[in-house]
Amino acid sequence: MICLRGIAKSYEMGRDWPIAALRSIDLDIERGEFVVITGRSGAGKTTLLNIIAGLARPTAGSVKVDGVDLWSLSDRQRSLLRNRTMGFVFQFPSLLASLSVAQNVALPASLASDVDGGGRERAYELLEMVGLADRRFSHPRQLSAGQQQRVVIARALVNRPELLLADEPSSDLDEETEAEIMTLFGRIHSETGVTIVLVTHAKQLVAYGTRHIAMADGEVAD
Amino acid sequence: MRLRSLIALALHNLADNELRSWLLGLCAFAIAAFAVTTVLVVHGAQESLHLAADRLGADVVVVPRGAATQVDGALLMGTVSKTWLPSSDVARIAAVPGVAVASPQVYLESLSHASCCAVSRMFIVAYDPRTDFTVGPWLHQSLGGALGLEQAVGGCRVTVPVNHNIMLYGYTMWLRGKLEPTGTNLDQTLFVTLPTAYAMAHSSRTTAVRPLVIPRDSVSSVMVKVRPGQAPARIARSIADAVPGVTAIVSPQMFAAYRSQISGLLRILLLVLGLLLVLAAAVTAALFAMAANERRRELGVLRALGASCGAVLVALLGEALTLALVGGLAGALVAAVGVGLFHTLLISALGFPFLFPAFGRLAGEVVLGLALALVVVGAAAALPALRVSRQEPADAMRQ
Repeated sequence: MICLRGIAKSYEMGRDWPIAALRSIDLDIERGEFVVITGRSGAGKTTLLNIIAGLARPTAGSVKVDGVDLWSLSDRQRSLLRNRTMGFVFQFPSLLASLSVAQNVALPASLASDVDGGGRERAYELLEMVGLADRRFSHPRQLSAGQQQRVVIARALVNRPELLLADEPSSDLDEETEAEIMTLFGRIHSETGVTIVLVTHAKQLVAYGTRHIAMADGEVAD
Repeated sequence: MRLRSLIALALHNLADNELRSWLLGLCAFAIAAFAVTTVLVVHGAQESLHLAADRLGADVVVVPRGAATQVDGALLMGTVSKTWLPSSDVARIAAVPGVAVASPQVYLESLSHASCCAVSRMFIVAYDPRTDFTVGPWLHQSLGGALGLEQAVGGCRVTVPVNHNIMLYGYTMWLRGKLEPTGTNLDQTLFVTLPTAYAMAHSSRTTAVRPLVIPRDSVSSVMVKVRPGQAPARIARSIADAVPGVTAIVSPQMFAAYRSQISGLLRILLLVLGLLLVLAAAVTAALFAMAANERRRELGVLRALGASCGAVLVALLGEALTLALVGGLAGALVAAVGVGLFHTLLISALGFPFLFPAFGRLAGEVVLGLALALVVVGAAAALPALRVSRQEPADAMRQ
C-alpha cells in the first residue's frame, strides 16, 4: 500500500547548515498492517509519518500510496487523496475549539464533497463507538485529554480511510487512558481492517501492532 | 473540497475572536464611512453648483463690481446681497453686440419669525416676465403659462403645498408649482415677477411688521443670454468694457469662491482618506498576520484533513471579506443616513451647499464605499493569508 524509496529529509537550520531528519529510507507497508514505529525523540518518526501522509515534501526519494506518487499530484489532488484515504491522530490537541464535538468529527466529511447528512450520521455512529455519543454537543475544552483523543480518533475514521496515521496518540495521557486508547486502536484495526501506522517513543506499545519498526538518527534501525 | 464548510468555519472563528473581529470590522467601517461621506459631500456640492448654474440658465451673469461673491452667496446660501446695479444698466447691457437677451433680477428676503410672513426668512427672486428666460420656459412647459400678479413658484423645499396661498409681508400669493431640487438655497426660494415684488413692497407699508424696501431703479443682477455662435467669455469682456461698475461672469465661472472652497475641501478629504486607507490597511494586515500566525497549527490540521492550499486561502480571505462586508456596509449606511439627517447642519458648518442624491445615486455611492472597504481589507489580508496557506502542513503544525 505504501512504498517509500530513498526517502531523505533535511531542514535548513540557518545558512548552509542542513540537519538531516531522515536518511535514505526504503520502506513498504502492506494493506491491513498495524505498524508501530518507535524511536527516541529526534529519531525522525514524526517526519517519516508526515512524509507518508504528504504533509511534508521529502528532500529526496519517492512516496507512493497505492502506486500513486504523492508528489506527482497537484496540491488539490494530494489534499483530496488525503481526505478520502487517510485519517490522522495527532500528538497535540487538534480539535477545533470553535466547533462542537460532532462538528469536529464530521469536519473531514464536510471538507469532502460528501453530503452533510451522511457525514453527520457517520459522526454520531463513531462517537457511539468511542463512547462519547452523549458529548456530541459539547465543545473540546469541556472534555478531558483522553476524551479529546477519542474524538480525534472518531474524526480520523469519518471518511472510512484505508490508512490511519497516528503520531504519539497517547503521549499526554495517563497509563490507564493510554491503554484505553491503544485498545481502541486494536479494536478499530481488527474490526475494519484499516492499515495503521502509529508512531511512539513508548516501546511497551509495540505489543498492540502487527509489525514493529525501530528508528534511530533518521534511519530504520531494524 | 467544500468551501461552504470552510466559510462556516471562518464564521465560527469570527465569533470566537470578538476583539479582532471588531477591530477589523471597525477598519472597514471607517474606510466605507469616510469614503461615502467624502463622495456625498463633494459630489453633492459639485452637482449643486452645476444645477444652480443650470437653473439660472444664463450664459453670462452681470453683477455690481466686487459683489460676485455676495451674489453667489445669495443664490446658493440665501445671504441676501445688499449691493445694487442701476436699472439703466439693463438696457446698456442689452445693447452690447452679441447679447440676445438681458433680464434683470432682484433678490429679496422675507422677515424672520414675523406674523406677516407664513414662512420665516425666505429668499425671493423677482424677475422681469417680459425678458426672463430662467424660470419662464419651465413655467410654460409645466404650468402652461406665465406667472401673473400675486402668483409665485417655489423651490422644492418651500414648505407651503402647491396651489395653496403663501403670505409674505402680509401680501398673499398663490403658489402655482415647485421646481426640481438643486441642493442650494434656490430650493427654498420663491420666484415672483417684478410687478408682484413691487406690489408686495407697496402693500407691506400697511400690512407688514416691517415694510419691504426695494431701492428705486435698482436691480441685483442681470442674466444674459448670448446670440447663437457668440462666445460667452468674449461677450462678458465686452459687457465689462461697455458698462462701468459691473462684473460679468460667464456661467461656468459662477460660484468661483465656492468651487475653490470645495476643491480645497476635496483635497483635504482625499488626503485624510488616503491616510485612513494606509492606516486601515496596516492595522488589517498586522491583525490578520497575528491571527493567521496564531492559527497556523489549526490551519495545518485543516490541510491534513484534506483542505487544499487554495481552499484555506479562500477561507481566510472569506473571513476578512465577511468582516469587511459587514463593517463596510454598516459604515456606508451610517454615513449615508448621517449625512442625510444632518444635511442642513453640514451645509451651515461647511459654508457651501450640497445636494443629497436621489436613491439610485445614493445606492451607487454606498456600493462604492463598500467596494473600497472590501478591496483595502481584502488586499491587506491577502499577503498573510497567502503566506500561511502556502506553508507546508507539517511545518504549520510544528509550532
